[in-house]
Amino acid sequence: MNPALPQFDPALIARYDVAGPRYTSYPAAPQFHSDFGEAALRTFVQASNDDPIPRALSLYVHVPFCLSPCFYCGCTRVITRDRSKAGVYLERLYREIERVAPLFARDRVVEQLHFGGGTPNFLDAAQMSDLMESLGRHFSFSRAAEREFGIELDPRFCDGDYVRMLAQHGFNRVSVGIQDFDPAVQAAVNRIQSVEQTREILQAARAAGYRSLSVDLIYGLPKQSVAGFSATLDRVIELAPDRIATYAYAHLPERFKAQRQLDAEYLPDAATRLALLATTVDKLTAAGYRYVGMDHFAKADDDLVRAQDSGTLQRNFQGYSTHGDCDLIGLGMSSISHIGRSFSQNARDLISYYAAIDAGRLPIARGLAMSEDDVIRADLIQALMCHGTLRIPEFEQRHALDFRVYFANELERLQTLVADGLVTIEPDRIGITARGRFLLRVIAMCFDAHLARNAMPEVRYSRAL
Amino acid sequence: MTASTPAGKILLPSPILDDGDALHFCSTCAFGSVCLPAGVDKRALQDLHMLVEHVGPYRAGDVVFHQGSPFSAIFAVRSGVVKTRRVEETGREQVLGFHLPGEVVGLNAIHPARYPCDAVALDTVYVCRFSFPALATLAGKIPDVQQRLFELLSADIGRVTQLVGDHPADERLAAFLLELSERFAARGFSASRFHLTMSRVDIANYLRLAAETVSRVLRRLQEQGLIRIDGREVELRDLAQLRELAHTLRA
Repeated sequence: MNPALPQFDPALIARYDVAGPRYTSYPAAPQFHSDFGEAALRTFVQASNDDPIPRALSLYVHVPFCLSPCFYCGCTRVITRDRSKAGVYLERLYREIERVAPLFARDRVVEQLHFGGGTPNFLDAAQMSDLMESLGRHFSFSRAAEREFGIELDPRFCDGDYVRMLAQHGFNRVSVGIQDFDPAVQAAVNRIQSVEQTREILQAARAAGYRSLSVDLIYGLPKQSVAGFSATLDRVIELAPDRIATYAYAHLPERFKAQRQLDAEYLPDAATRLALLATTVDKLTAAGYRYVGMDHFAKADDDLVRAQDSGTLQRNFQGYSTHGDCDLIGLGMSSISHIGRSFSQNARDLISYYAAIDAGRLPIARGLAMSEDDVIRADLIQALMCHGTLRIPEFEQRHALDFRVYFANELERLQTLVADGLVTIEPDRIGITARGRFLLRVIAMCFDAHLARNAMPEVRYSRAL
Repeated sequence: MTASTPAGKILLPSPILDDGDALHFCSTCAFGSVCLPAGVDKRALQDLHMLVEHVGPYRAGDVVFHQGSPFSAIFAVRSGVVKTRRVEETGREQVLGFHLPGEVVGLNAIHPARYPCDAVALDTVYVCRFSFPALATLAGKIPDVQQRLFELLSADIGRVTQLVGDHPADERLAAFLLELSERFAARGFSASRFHLTMSRVDIANYLRLAAETVSRVLRRLQEQGLIRIDGREVELRDLAQLRELAHTLRA
């Protein structure tokens, strides 16, 4: 199950630098529609309870507020210095929890919990304690050691006490945003954050017994240089996180308002972007990190790597996960749920989210019921993204289909990628080569039925690199 | 039902594809096998004013017949799964059984001429409706039909063994899965892989267990390698061990 070691081919990667979904879900979120509402969601929840062995639960809680705007951000968030806004939000969030939790059978335990944002540590210690207490009362938290309770933290507004408080509430994973330590870049993106601030949080988490520490980096930001990013990577390697995510910055100012504040003039050119990625791969690989896929690296003894080796790795909204077979319940503004064969997303602005809660409804705004074809393609894309290989006979048996007939067009589309040495097609398997591992997204796009039908310009995705 | 099957998709056997017509019985027909050798084809049945009517589709939750309503017909399931249940005076539901394609529902209503239970579709269901006065007349004329009717009645009485006595939950569930497997196999479906249409609440109710217990026991059987469950798809991986577990209920 160990995928081919990645091999970095700049010329090839430059050629395939096209826009496409990240496949944290298939179908991707732009396919969600407003016809899918509360009634449909309730039906899927009931059906999920009715399974002979209902899936365990994964909770995602969105805290949309940030104290300061980072100019690269593409997340759904609200900038405010007014901490009292959290109280107003939490009041609605509690009502959502009270409304949603009873829909799920009580013996379905929460194996995974993730707080994202925005900035989850916008909530003060008392608010966070109350929220965790409420979640624990309304849902059945797993007591197993394998449970994953994670949170994204902004070290600029956090300290060791906060990290220890979280540990007491059961958090065992933390993800810390860094992006780049280069002062010129930090100024350009409006995020000034020292190595010391970052280290304090990571050390506190390690001392408090967190099982996994993760950091986020972004390449392709304004004023970034290979020398500067290289120095950042050295600092990051010294901090020794278990996982490192290196996201490609996607400049889509017409879609993400925050990005209009960025000076596009200083964005690195395509050659520099490639060099940044190449440096990242070289340095992290040399430092003992394994490339898991897409944007993610992990230490060889990390759960993600073990899951990849044993074939149980899954792709989900947080990237990769060892708990992907849970039903995902998204709570809070803009959160996405994935229950059985459905996706649904809450209202994406505070006004609509509050209005739905105040009207006594679930705050769902849009979603979709997966077709049988969606299920088949999601399984295929998952196999390629997580394991770099697809065993055709098992896949045919699982979905009762003749692979070469069902995917005749897709296999034809893949021929260019085969010729470029990204993919191999054998009688019983499709494999992603060492050269293809950095182009997973492009390979997955060949199997995306929604892309083929939709005119590309309508739906804007970020670039593959 | 299968009109929009995409290219490359392999059709799984479905009894509904093999639909009878005015001259032929459906392959799953509960009576076809005895009527034909006896020289009675469907035209002859119609001559006898025997009403064999194809009814459906019923959607999940639709009621085929109601508890307490006058008995007029028995129903053979052609496709889908039908649950029978009795609603007690307290309002509590009691699941009596699940009926698969080829099986007959309503036999327990012959006496006292009222349906003692509801019959509810669990998914998309098609049935054959046998008007009972007409069937009784036919049974009087054709001994094989009468014999078949007795067999069906007898089988219906024998089906409750899983509920009698104080057997542990894992034995009951093993027996339940084995019985389903045999009934699917008898209709030409796979004995080791099948779709569990009934909800775990219905299974629990039928076996007089808590829903949590059903899941806990199934998870344990899965960890022991006896079964594998993925959503509603069940695979029986070790029939010998399952039989060993269930043997006290399956004399």
